[in-house]
Amino acid sequence: MLTRLLKASVFTSLAFFSLNAGGFDAQAQKDKKELVKYFEAKFQNPYENKNRFFPYSTDEELKDGYAKGLKHMDFGIGSYSYAKDAKQQYEAIKEFPPYEDKIEEGEELYTKKFANGKSLKTCFPNPAIVGEYPYFDTKTQEVISLTTAINKCLEANNEKKWNTKKGQMAKFQAFLAYSTAEAEKNMDIKIPTKKAQEAYERGKEYYYTQRGYLKLSCATCHIQGAGQRVRNEKLSPLLGQITHFPVYRLKWGSLGTLERRMSGCIKDQGQVPPKDDSKKMHELLYFMAYMSNGMPIDGPDVRK
Amino acid sequence: MNRLVNISLVSITAIAFSACASSSANLSSVKGIDVEKVCSVQNNGIENVIQTAEKYNEIAKRNELEFRRLGVNNSDLIISVKEAIKTGANEVNPKDFKSKASKTKLPVEFAAHRACKFAISALTQANEAKTTWRLAVPGDGYEY
Repeated sequence: MLTRLLKASVFTSLAFFSLNAGGFDAQAQKDKKELVKYFEAKFQNPYENKNRFFPYSTDEELKDGYAKGLKHMDFGIGSYSYAKDAKQQYEAIKEFPPYEDKIEEGEELYTKKFANGKSLKTCFPNPAIVGEYPYFDTKTQEVISLTTAINKCLEANNEKKWNTKKGQMAKFQAFLAYSTAEAEKNMDIKIPTKKAQEAYERGKEYYYTQRGYLKLSCATCHIQGAGQRVRNEKLSPLLGQITHFPVYRLKWGSLGTLERRMSGCIKDQGQVPPKDDSKKMHELLYFMAYMSNGMPIDGPDVRK
Repeated sequence: MNRLVNISLVSITAIAFSACASSSANLSSVKGIDVEKVCSVQNNGIENVIQTAEKYNEIAKRNELEFRRLGVNNSDLIISVKEAIKTGANEVNPKDFKSKASKTKLPVEFAAHRACKFAISALTQANEAKTTWRLAVPGDGYEY
């Protein structure tokens, strides 16, 4: 009788704790599900959905310029999933990717010895980790991005921090992204505690808040505006937006980190962007990364 | 000894005042402000307008909401207007966020008006967004 009672109590406690542990990302899961539903509806048939989603596009471009019937995972390549012309150009560039040598340089940085004899490999013994960043550090109660984690490693070993936007940082991240993609890993962001949930919610609010003198939110372009044409380019979707970083951007003529791209976007809204290692930037990336959960890591990549 | 007491009293008063000022210097301090009225150079004079710009831009900076247009942070625009007032220049050429000369060249009165409007709008927008941001969330306020 006593054993039965004990078993029942243990079972109840385990169920209670596991339910609670799962509960912290309940809202985030709902948000992601709704986002996928929205994008699948939007790109089911852009021509037929003109009045609903593309009121400013021409019939001709909606008929001929967009792919149809897109599903969740198709959005992993961003706007190239629906922009037919851009996809052709993208595939042509990918035949001779301009970032290949950067992956090799990144690999050299991985094993290059610090003055104390250690290396980045000491901090990141497994390089296939890009899908796990940003993560919520339950010890420090804050979100840590990959860029911040790398700089923390350098600092902890008395090395100088790297530029967070390009150069060695981007090259090393290219190696990590490549290793993660080779290991066929997906974006896998966790929301383990109430504090992490709050961080996610703040990141989400940042994403949807109109800011800057142009009063644009990230969502204006990458949710409501995703797929719409600005000059000759179609805006990318939030889904899968950060699975391919770092990117070699033709506009930059070099490889850049996710933070470099984010700062550019926020600046385009007409506001001073948050610092790359700030709480705001970390939490914004945390939200965006969660929205791509389950999607394959395919960085580094090329973008216009 | 009396001098020491006086200095202490002055310091305490200054700290108390600055603490009060900073606690009231929050986002909601712009509620009900008529931007065009307070930022009108004609009605208030350029010195008052740029003082208003400076006051609210500080709050915007503290809340990471400061505006930047064509590489020029609003605080740099304010600095350029203040310098123009000192030198009597009719035009401003503010520095960009990298402290290099920008391509922005504006008549000084227009620049003062813009700096003031940008400083207040950054805060007004943030206040509004607290209740409107969910309207853009699929599955929440956004219907399609």
